[in-house]
Amino acid sequence: MTGKLEGKTALVTGGRGGIGRAIVARFLREGAHVYAADLTPQGSLSEHDEDGSVFVKLDVTQETDAVAAMERVQSGTGKLDILVNAAGIEIEKTIEDTSLEEWNRSFAVNCTGTFLTSKYALPLMRKAAQSGTSASIINFGSYDGFIADPGLAAYCATKGAVHALTRAMACDHGPEGIRVNAICPGYIDTPMLQSFFTGDGSGAGGKTIDQLQQAVRDVHPMRTYGTPEDIANLVNWLASDEARYASGQLWVLDGGLSAQVQQMKL
Amino acid sequence: MRLAGKRALVTGGRQGIGRGIVEAFLAEGATVSTCGRGNRPKGLPDAVTWYGADVSDVEQVEELAQAAGVVDILVNNAGVQVEKTVVESTDADWDLVIGANCRGVFNMCRAFIPVMPQGGSIINIGSISGKVADPSMALYNASKAFVHGLTRSIAVDHGPKIRCNAICPGWIETGMLDAGFDLSDDPHAARKDALSRHATRRFGQPADIAAMAVWLASDEAGFATGQLFTIDGGMTAASPINTGLF
Repeated sequence: MTGKLEGKTALVTGGRGGIGRAIVARFLREGAHVYAADLTPQGSLSEHDEDGSVFVKLDVTQETDAVAAMERVQSGTGKLDILVNAAGIEIEKTIEDTSLEEWNRSFAVNCTGTFLTSKYALPLMRKAAQSGTSASIINFGSYDGFIADPGLAAYCATKGAVHALTRAMACDHGPEGIRVNAICPGYIDTPMLQSFFTGDGSGAGGKTIDQLQQAVRDVHPMRTYGTPEDIANLVNWLASDEARYASGQLWVLDGGLSAQVQQMKL
Repeated sequence: MRLAGKRALVTGGRQGIGRGIVEAFLAEGATVSTCGRGNRPKGLPDAVTWYGADVSDVEQVEELAQAAGVVDILVNNAGVQVEKTVVESTDADWDLVIGANCRGVFNMCRAFIPVMPQGGSIINIGSISGKVADPSMALYNASKAFVHGLTRSIAVDHGPKIRCNAICPGWIETGMLDAGFDLSDDPHAARKDALSRHATRRFGQPADIAAMAVWLASDEAGFATGQLFTIDGGMTAASPINTGLF
């Protein structure tokens, strides 16, 4: 069986994190040559650091790192068909509690990181697009870019910025054969989500973390969180040639969460 | 007096939001008429003209248009709500909800747009439920999305002569809201929970919606058309998940 991404080269930032790791695994199964870019080979997980992808050390906030990562791809496959900007952080605070350093750090990773990696990937992506099939950039927005979770101000703002940047990039680079889309996940079962629940233990209203998590699942029309694999399914499609007319869009994947109004306890 | 000299017709002005808009328009100097099924409601200010008319009935709307004549401001507020899923909804429910909320707005716009003067303003009452789903309100939710789509079409097709906008109210203190809480096992707790999901920590009043209607009806809103204006105390700006409430 040949995969959907046979012959393609992909780079995934945050490639050793919760969602990034699932994307890397899926790309490998689909036959792509995959660079997993992250701060460390382990990323935010601690189990394994070998998965068949090529690890590239990348701090997305550093311009020199972005340049070096793309030089690495240049000297490897010499082109880049797929870029996934999955690196992201979350500061769980209101604007009043957020320090300037935390604010700047949020924007540095979530927005500047998407900007820098994409900027230096463009020459390699043009090369891929010239081969006849479109190249694809997939950014990570969030359903939080549309509606707010309480106490997550900087995160919400960075994701709204990524949404606008996605449309701008699609507009500017579509004529060069580069498609740009954003995936907007809801609650996905990742280390980031678990840290959100265990953070300071507040707001649990006397419930255990497990009870709290069940209550959150129950607010979803699908009654469950998404998995990193659910996200990888859509990333895979957007990366593939089947999605050759899909560009400039924000793809919400949240189990129906944001399709509904507040769930009052009546 | 921001609406002095203007002639306004508000459908469904018997109570609730419609009544609030009628009173606000009067206070701003407009000549106001309103309509509804049945007789003139008690307590409606004497200055307001009442027409007995069911907006879902095309013949009654034509008669209303004959009687009311030219209006500068048309507010399509009349609407009904049936609390059911798709599977539970009967043909009669469809006729009732779609008849009043969709057909009614269409009937009124078709009858009045041709006689509205340059600078006319149509204000449709949509809903947050036309954007995000309220559970077990399938036909209502869909009918309000229809209103939102029709609002944009009218703005595009009938500008620059007429402006058309929709207001999307959230939870507004009307008899309907209290009835909802009364059905709860613990009305006090239900009200407290619902309030905590509003950034304003209060529900809306008909006057809150009327305030936006006055602005949209006035010449100050001369560049506003084709848009949906949500007035919901911040409720739909927030995620449905608020772990502080569990």
